[in-house]
Amino acid sequence: MYEKEKDLVHSFLNGRLSRRGLIKRLAGLGVSATAAGSLVNMMATNAMAADFDWKKHSGTGVKLLLNKHPYTDAMIANLDNFKQLTGMDVQYDVFPEDVYFDKVTAALSSGSTEYDAFMTGAYMTWTYGPAGWITDLNEWIGDPEKTAASYNWDDMLPGVRKSCAWNGQPGGELGSADAKQWCIPWGYEQNNLAYNRNMFQKAGLSVPTNLDELVDTAAQAKASIDGVYGIGVRGSRSWASIHPGFLSAYANYGQKDLNVGADGKLSAAMNTDVSKDMHSKWVKMIQDSGAPDWSTHTWYQVGTDLGAGASAMIYDADILGYFMNGGDNKEAGNLAYAPFAANPAADAPSPNIWIWSLAMSEFSKKKDAAWYFMQWASGPEHGLFGATQMDFVNPVRQSVWADEDFRERLDKSYPGYVDMHDVSAPGAKIQFTAQPLFFDLTTEWAATLQKMVANEVPVDEGLDKLAESVNRQLKEADLG
Amino acid sequence: MLETSPLETFLRGVAILLVILFFMFPIFWIVLMSFQTNETILRIPPSFIFEPTFDNYRALITGKLETNAASLDIAFMRNMGNSVLLSVGAVLLALILGVPAAYSFARHKTRFSEDIAFTLLSFRFAPPLLVLLPLTIYFQKLGLSDTYFGLIWVYQLICLPLILWIVRGYFEDISEDVEYAYRIGGHSWFETFRKIAVPLAGPGIAAAGLLAFIFAWNNFIFALVLASADKQPVTVGALAFVTASGIQYGQIAAAIVLSITPTLLLAVYAQKYLVEGLSLGAVKG
Repeated sequence: MYEKEKDLVHSFLNGRLSRRGLIKRLAGLGVSATAAGSLVNMMATNAMAADFDWKKHSGTGVKLLLNKHPYTDAMIANLDNFKQLTGMDVQYDVFPEDVYFDKVTAALSSGSTEYDAFMTGAYMTWTYGPAGWITDLNEWIGDPEKTAASYNWDDMLPGVRKSCAWNGQPGGELGSADAKQWCIPWGYEQNNLAYNRNMFQKAGLSVPTNLDELVDTAAQAKASIDGVYGIGVRGSRSWASIHPGFLSAYANYGQKDLNVGADGKLSAAMNTDVSKDMHSKWVKMIQDSGAPDWSTHTWYQVGTDLGAGASAMIYDADILGYFMNGGDNKEAGNLAYAPFAANPAADAPSPNIWIWSLAMSEFSKKKDAAWYFMQWASGPEHGLFGATQMDFVNPVRQSVWADEDFRERLDKSYPGYVDMHDVSAPGAKIQFTAQPLFFDLTTEWAATLQKMVANEVPVDEGLDKLAESVNRQLKEADLG
Repeated sequence: MLETSPLETFLRGVAILLVILFFMFPIFWIVLMSFQTNETILRIPPSFIFEPTFDNYRALITGKLETNAASLDIAFMRNMGNSVLLSVGAVLLALILGVPAAYSFARHKTRFSEDIAFTLLSFRFAPPLLVLLPLTIYFQKLGLSDTYFGLIWVYQLICLPLILWIVRGYFEDISEDVEYAYRIGGHSWFETFRKIAVPLAGPGIAAAGLLAFIFAWNNFIFALVLASADKQPVTVGALAFVTASGIQYGQIAAAIVLSITPTLLLAVYAQKYLVEGLSLGAVKG
């Protein structure tokens, strides 16, 4: 590399030059933006080696179990830098998401030593952790011999970081002082609005700012745009239908899924008056303006319909709207984003979040080496590379969100996305109560919603019955 | 002799056409989808008129998938190769083991024959996951985990009982007198089995083999649990087109067309044996 380029990158890494300034000046030397990005990434990797013994596990190999996802693609695209930095070999198995968790469960429950680390959702660690299948990572994070100072654990968004830590007590607060760090956040999703700007403009609609407005706007969109339904939300009989928009709106009203008593016992909390009112509005919204086949809608249908112009907006994961604004989607380039606080009395949104995280198998024979990979993959350098060069959104680090290039890139192609994130991030966290029956109880909640939308049961009665059933199951499991 | 009226012939024709349309339309639609982009597939309302593209097949064959987010490597052709290897290997092994066993159960009945045959059949009753988790532990200890040999062995849970029970029925339908006559000529039981019983039960063996092949080809869970990503069959591989950044409908359709082709060709080729084999013994004279 020429000295001039080297000096510029050094200045950037030492904080004397902004990223934008660096790329501008490199461009003046004939270096393209993409090449400049790769150059910075490579130099950053070299700089990392200066303050930590990254070669400690040189010659060791680790094996990963990964889900087919843009986060995985970003990691694979940058993996050579890790191999060069550490001298380690990394093998990986990538499985489609539809079967991914079956594979993880089979590998962990059989005590397989094949995989050292794997991708997981934070909710899944509520099963894997107490079962003894995954490792508490606090031991590694807090050890300066094993973790580089530049890793900067406190740089992680607080709500996201805490959501990956649980003390294993049913109802225990996420991120409490005695919590075990079951996984490391990698990339995450908030739940907010993504809407079709063209449709909104043509129909003269404004972006809704609370649940009542959302119900009205969705109905107006359906009435004024031919062949389009108003709002896309998930509806299949699965826990995954509760956790995105629905729970984000629910939590914004200050509502909880479960109460935790002074004796630590859990009880259902979803049949309060406020909850019943919120449920009624949600059910009406789907009945009036939701997808005709709402009860089958998962992530895929919600996203596909927005991208194909079959729905006017979605209240779901922000990155789902992000993906639908690109590629060969009919509505690519027409989508925009907005933060959403369902409760008119709330100060800000409080989105429930999904976190793709990295966890370490308790059965791994190479835990220290696996941690080297995990800290690199969740470190600030890779986070910045993925966010600026690939589709590694949403990053979990505050430093990446502060990066001017990243913000500018998002703002340019994804109108409103940065603002949406900034407004929502302080209140973004897992809004569920951590407990082992999470998947069963939440799936039953989704089934109850289906019955309400189909008018098989009135909202009040449905929620009372749900609470009764939840309480019975909690008692049977000695949790209530 | 019964005569069919023109009206009856016409109505029968219409009924057959409706049945064909009902069963074949999904396949026809999938074939059409395989020549379209996601955008034309998702048009509202759907249409038969479109500009065909070979991009989906190209992506599968070259191994590069263009998604909304990025260009991804896909391993569909490798998945196809794995399916062929696993299914053919499993059926061949099941035929080698199952046909002599079926002959033995049909001709040399002992006190425990029925119990043993029923035990083998019972392998088909158990939910695969119930068997697979303990099997994973044994496979790891035996070094069979993540090997083609190990998978072909596990596939015997599907193929062996099927072949054994179907072929046993065919052997039982062959008159024993034919075999006795051959043995009187000084031939051993093995020669009798090889030169008389097997050729006579040929259509049945072909039909059983084909059915076992279809079951093995469609299997999903064994390789998923017991093997790495590089040994997965098409049934798992096809799911790779359902990604977080969108569903690649065109590539899924092309993958379906490619993955049903071997079974379809085999079924068409073996149709004569299949019909003959499946109807053998249906009418006893």
